[in-house]
Amino acid sequence: MALQTYVQTIARTLMEEMRRDERVVLLGQDVGRRGGVFLATEHLFDAFGPDRVIDTPLSEAAIIGAAVGMAVHGLRPVAEIQFADYVFPGFDQLVSQAAKLRYRSGGAFTAPMVVRMPAGGGVKGGHHHSQNPEAHFVHTPGLQVVYPSTPSDARGCLQTAVRGDDPVVFLEPKRLYRASKEEVPRDVDQLLPVGVGVRRREGDDVVLVSYGASMRETLQAAEALAQQGIAADVIDLRWLMPWDQALVLERVAAVGRVVLVSEAPHSGSMLSEVAATIAEEVLDMLEAPPLRVSGFDTPYPYAQDRAYLPGPNRILYAVQQVLDY
Amino acid sequence: MITDAQRFQPFSEEPIRLIDQSGAWLGAFPCDLDDATLHAMYRHLVLARAVDERLVLLQRLGKISFTASAAGHEAAQVGTAHALRVGRDWIFPYYRDTALAIAVGWPLVELFGQMMGTRADAARGRQMPAHPGSRDLRIFTVASPIASHLPAATGTAIAQKLAGAGDATVCTFGDGATSEGDWHAALNFAGAQGAPIVFVCENNRYAISVDLRHQTGSDGLAVKAHAYGMPGYLVDGMDLLACYYVMRSLLEAARDGLGPALVEMTVYRYGPHSSADDDSVYRDPAEVAAWRERDPIVRFRRFLTARGGWDEAAERELRAAVTRTVDEAVEAAEAAGPVPVEWLFDDVSSRPTPQLERQRERFRAARRAAGEDVAD
Repeated sequence: MALQTYVQTIARTLMEEMRRDERVVLLGQDVGRRGGVFLATEHLFDAFGPDRVIDTPLSEAAIIGAAVGMAVHGLRPVAEIQFADYVFPGFDQLVSQAAKLRYRSGGAFTAPMVVRMPAGGGVKGGHHHSQNPEAHFVHTPGLQVVYPSTPSDARGCLQTAVRGDDPVVFLEPKRLYRASKEEVPRDVDQLLPVGVGVRRREGDDVVLVSYGASMRETLQAAEALAQQGIAADVIDLRWLMPWDQALVLERVAAVGRVVLVSEAPHSGSMLSEVAATIAEEVLDMLEAPPLRVSGFDTPYPYAQDRAYLPGPNRILYAVQQVLDY
Repeated sequence: MITDAQRFQPFSEEPIRLIDQSGAWLGAFPCDLDDATLHAMYRHLVLARAVDERLVLLQRLGKISFTASAAGHEAAQVGTAHALRVGRDWIFPYYRDTALAIAVGWPLVELFGQMMGTRADAARGRQMPAHPGSRDLRIFTVASPIASHLPAATGTAIAQKLAGAGDATVCTFGDGATSEGDWHAALNFAGAQGAPIVFVCENNRYAISVDLRHQTGSDGLAVKAHAYGMPGYLVDGMDLLACYYVMRSLLEAARDGLGPALVEMTVYRYGPHSSADDDSVYRDPAEVAAWRERDPIVRFRRFLTARGGWDEAAERELRAAVTRTVDEAVEAAEAAGPVPVEWLFDDVSSRPTPQLERQRERFRAARRAAGEDVAD
């Protein structure tokens, strides 16, 4: 098997899903002839034509709203928002329409659809090309949210998302689009179930919980800790709503120390939710308070692009604090 | 007396044009600009192109992370800039408006400082390249999300109307922006209020790869003004004086309380959408070449030459001066040095939240623990 990048895996998986099910259609800005600005839909226009790979006008509301309508009529739309930072004109469609359609119709109507969007920083894109808006979606009942960190996971989660019966916000870590390469199986189902995370490393000294692009720095920190004789248990959440509460609580209860890592802003974040749940459920098993290593409560900066990211040093500092507690 | 407002017809079939390809004046009225003004306009065209070429080079050298070339848009932007009363009228630009920013006097050191994210950037290195802004020049700092600045532009124009000082607003955007809901919200509100604002669409026919035919079913963009109760003008955006005179007349009308207008300036971007784009996937090189033949700078130079007062010597002198100016600005912007790391915490709100203060302390402690110099 040849190595495949994250973004090639997205394109390849979409190709397979479109072959498998003719109800799957793509829509978004530049997804057609251009193959997507990151090439996440490369070759699909040639393979399936303009009826199934739709170059849309420049309107996120039209893209997401139209996907809802297509889904209601039986299609399986996969919408692309060019950057997660641009989702906000379509936010109303996601929050008011897609997320609430099943509930408000008493289950009569549903919106099985996927909204893909590259997210995250470290690409010198400033605050309109670097944000991590997952908390907005996690906070919107009716949406599923996933942020896979590897090509293989992206493939498995995308298969699950396309074939599922709910609207899924599918976040892709753009700084890993080309940096992350793996041998990825082809033409076989590899569905990763909704809400199930994965242990990337086993250890008994501290639990590190992360997801998406920050997994890379989290694993680097775990490696550095191993050099110092500290064994970190590393959990990749994969799914942010629903998230793998059972796995996190089980490991945190067993180890007693936990550091949570994400590059999204600190307050009101996914990490806040995980930390609060840990405190509610396994407080008496903790040896130290859960610590969050995150982005800051600032817009994503341009010049200090890298400093903003929770790098290994900041993770190691927090780990030292929970170990010394 | 014939006012500027009566010179041009809205919703015309053919673009309004005042200079033909050979440089001949086509206007039914005499050009009332003096040599100094015309030469300043030309200097801005040449300077903007030189800055543009330098930015492409700096991006290739890895000194800036991104550039969105304005080559092909210069006449539209410089013509618009000269019709404004700089420092009084507000400008709400988009990311491809480098020539507009230059022509209203955005200092080149600030421009390159913004592009490189150095201390020379008045916005303190906060944004990616190609995002101008200036308090002194009343340039509303560019935001990347397309058309997100339009409703704010309408609001500023309404405030100008309430203030009654006879000021106006210009808001620019590309053809893709006309599909966003914010675009329609802004034009509708401006129309309902009779706000003193001119909306300018720099229509280069491509929103990255999506051509106009897939952007809208409407026959052109100027026509969209009709539904919002304002005139729409179709203008040759590669004819500097057509852009200038139409903008001057519409800004006069706006100041006189005649309300908003939409101007569609037909331009072409010679380069890809940005340094991250490959336009060969979706554009025929012959099409690009054909548009380059209609270059706005060449056309305006022909006009100046035909009119007299511009020759080879003047041209050589200008080119040399422009190169020197650009060299010096790049050097100064770079010499200003990188912005300090901790600036990232400033300017989030009128005063930092206790949460952010705590995050900053922890950030500093982690850097210290890792042996970094936190004085920077």
